[in-house]
Amino acid sequence: MSKKALVTGITGQDGSYLAELLLAKGYEVHGIIRRASSFNTQRLEHIYSDPHSPKHKLILHYGDLSDASGLSRLIGKIQPDEVYNLAAQSHVRVSFDAPEYTADIVGTGTIRLLEAIREVGIKPRFYQASSSEMYGKVMEVPQTETTPFYPRSPYACAKVYSYWITVNYRESYGLHASNGILFNHESPRRGETFVTRKITRAVAAIKLGRQDKLFLGNIDSKRDWGFAKEYVEAMWLMLQQPEPDDYVIATGETHSVREFLEVSFGHLGLDWKKHVEIDPRYYRPAEVDLLIGDPSKAKEKLGWVPKVTFTELAKLMVDADLKDLQDQLAGKVAHSE
Amino acid sequence: MPRALITGITGQDGSYLTELLLEKGYEVHGMVRRTSSLERSRLVHLYRDSTIYGQRLFLHYADLDDPTTIRRVLMTVEPDELYHLAGQSHVGLSFEIPESTCDLTAMGTLRLLEMVQDMRKKPRFFHAASSEIFGQPAQMPQDENTPFAPVNPYGCAKTFAAHMVTIYRKTFGHFAVNGIMYNHESPRRGENFVTRKICRAAAAIQLGQQKDLLLGDTSAKRDWGYAPDYVRGMWLSLQHATAEDYIFATGKLHSVQDVVETAFAAMNLDWRQHVRKDNRLLRPAEPQRLQGNPAKARRLLNWEVSVTFKQMIEDMTKTEHAQLAGA
Repeated sequence: MSKKALVTGITGQDGSYLAELLLAKGYEVHGIIRRASSFNTQRLEHIYSDPHSPKHKLILHYGDLSDASGLSRLIGKIQPDEVYNLAAQSHVRVSFDAPEYTADIVGTGTIRLLEAIREVGIKPRFYQASSSEMYGKVMEVPQTETTPFYPRSPYACAKVYSYWITVNYRESYGLHASNGILFNHESPRRGETFVTRKITRAVAAIKLGRQDKLFLGNIDSKRDWGFAKEYVEAMWLMLQQPEPDDYVIATGETHSVREFLEVSFGHLGLDWKKHVEIDPRYYRPAEVDLLIGDPSKAKEKLGWVPKVTFTELAKLMVDADLKDLQDQLAGKVAHSE
Repeated sequence: MPRALITGITGQDGSYLTELLLEKGYEVHGMVRRTSSLERSRLVHLYRDSTIYGQRLFLHYADLDDPTTIRRVLMTVEPDELYHLAGQSHVGLSFEIPESTCDLTAMGTLRLLEMVQDMRKKPRFFHAASSEIFGQPAQMPQDENTPFAPVNPYGCAKTFAAHMVTIYRKTFGHFAVNGIMYNHESPRRGENFVTRKICRAAAAIQLGQQKDLLLGDTSAKRDWGYAPDYVRGMWLSLQHATAEDYIFATGKLHSVQDVVETAFAAMNLDWRQHVRKDNRLLRPAEPQRLQGNPAKARRLLNWEVSVTFKQMIEDMTKTEHAQLAGA
């Protein structure tokens, strides 16, 4: 019988890549989706099949991290071998506008899920999507698994809580629970309000004459940017280890938003300085410092090494957005792939 | 007359803080939960005093998970100082009810900060954080720069809350203080906390009302102080020119065994004849080595502890004895 995985946040960038990976490995994949009046499953359409087909291995359930009884009912019904908690209000700037909601989903949501697992009485392997934002005002460079946290946003505070409660359930109840401390990871499926995707979409639109200006916040902020598709492999690898543990997943390199602008505009022969304007409204109330992850432990223990470079990443994102927009203008259905 | 609003006013710290603030000439408002039994034993001496209750002490019904009511109370009272002491404060119990512990302790703090954010005149804000945020610390004793590493659901929730307080201070400029409180005890300590449980048992055994006492791990050591000293620290921290985080601790460690021996000795009893081990009372992940360095509070606030460990345990045991004998 095939293994069963449950993924929260399956409709997101990471969830969709992870679902693909798990399906390719022969898993039966269950995902939790929120009910919304407009469909939110675009990133899954290409792998979703008719529920009546015998090959149907991707099963979506309505649920919400704010709904504890729904979570325990789902876990009891699915009895997953692996649980990946990727769901979040994941936008840092928005967490200053909606801190309570962010904390409820990103923080309390994790304990609801862990409690549902404990209540049902099964012991699935558990992956918690921790974040480099937990390092915030960094205590050392580069950051490793032992660097103390100093969160600088409501989002990061909630992620720190979830990190510790995951460690706590591992130590208290012997749950195979691991934290992946993922640094920024991008892809053509990145949410459209995140800076990389905002830029690559604008580059495509400017190239095709549909847009002229791009407004951005702090273009000097630096991040360690990797390719999301490779990062979900690390998540899976963590749950295949004999012992649960916490891992930094990063490239070990840092680049500024400015560099991302240069590569992506340059890729289509454009000069970013002619199109980009700064809008202080996009500044965060508190910016994080230099985030660079040291992925040595993941390399040593998981054999995980990032392959796609920063330049390749920016280019592949621009290419995808260019193709999307061309398809859209030609009357074909837009599709993130 | 300065006005203070206290969440958790019916608790050990809330009641001592109320007394302190009344003595200093404050008008004191407290938020209380509605329950079918009136659980205000710690305030009853103030509540029944008609020169105080309704004159300088006011209680308002409001739950930490009821934001509209809290907002209304805040806007009506318009306090100069807000002491946020409410929380599910029992570590062992946080393993039984982790979600509501997170909701009340962490989310409750965040909701209050959000409301303060919307106030025209922002009160100075004191958050009662806990030494449990250090969990199993890498350094000993701990100070205000020691990284947090909680090991139980209560500690995780307090870490969450303390981080949020720091965000609102650093990002939005609130006068918001984390008081990192080490264990602090008193005759008003909740009856399911270990010190109170031991002192009460020693008194009851002396009076022939009880035979034995069942305890978990008695080798666990804590930094135990006297609650009235700690509420004085809270008040002092809001009178300082700048908002800071402070450790409130004695800097000295004593074991549960020390509590047992001191309490039983105060009743002229031999603890060996009465204390039995019960492994069911062990916590899943027991924090160790929590010892605070109160140097910053001493330096900036002139804060000092007023009684020794021995005096405190003796006082607690004798108070229990007087209560049980009178009952």
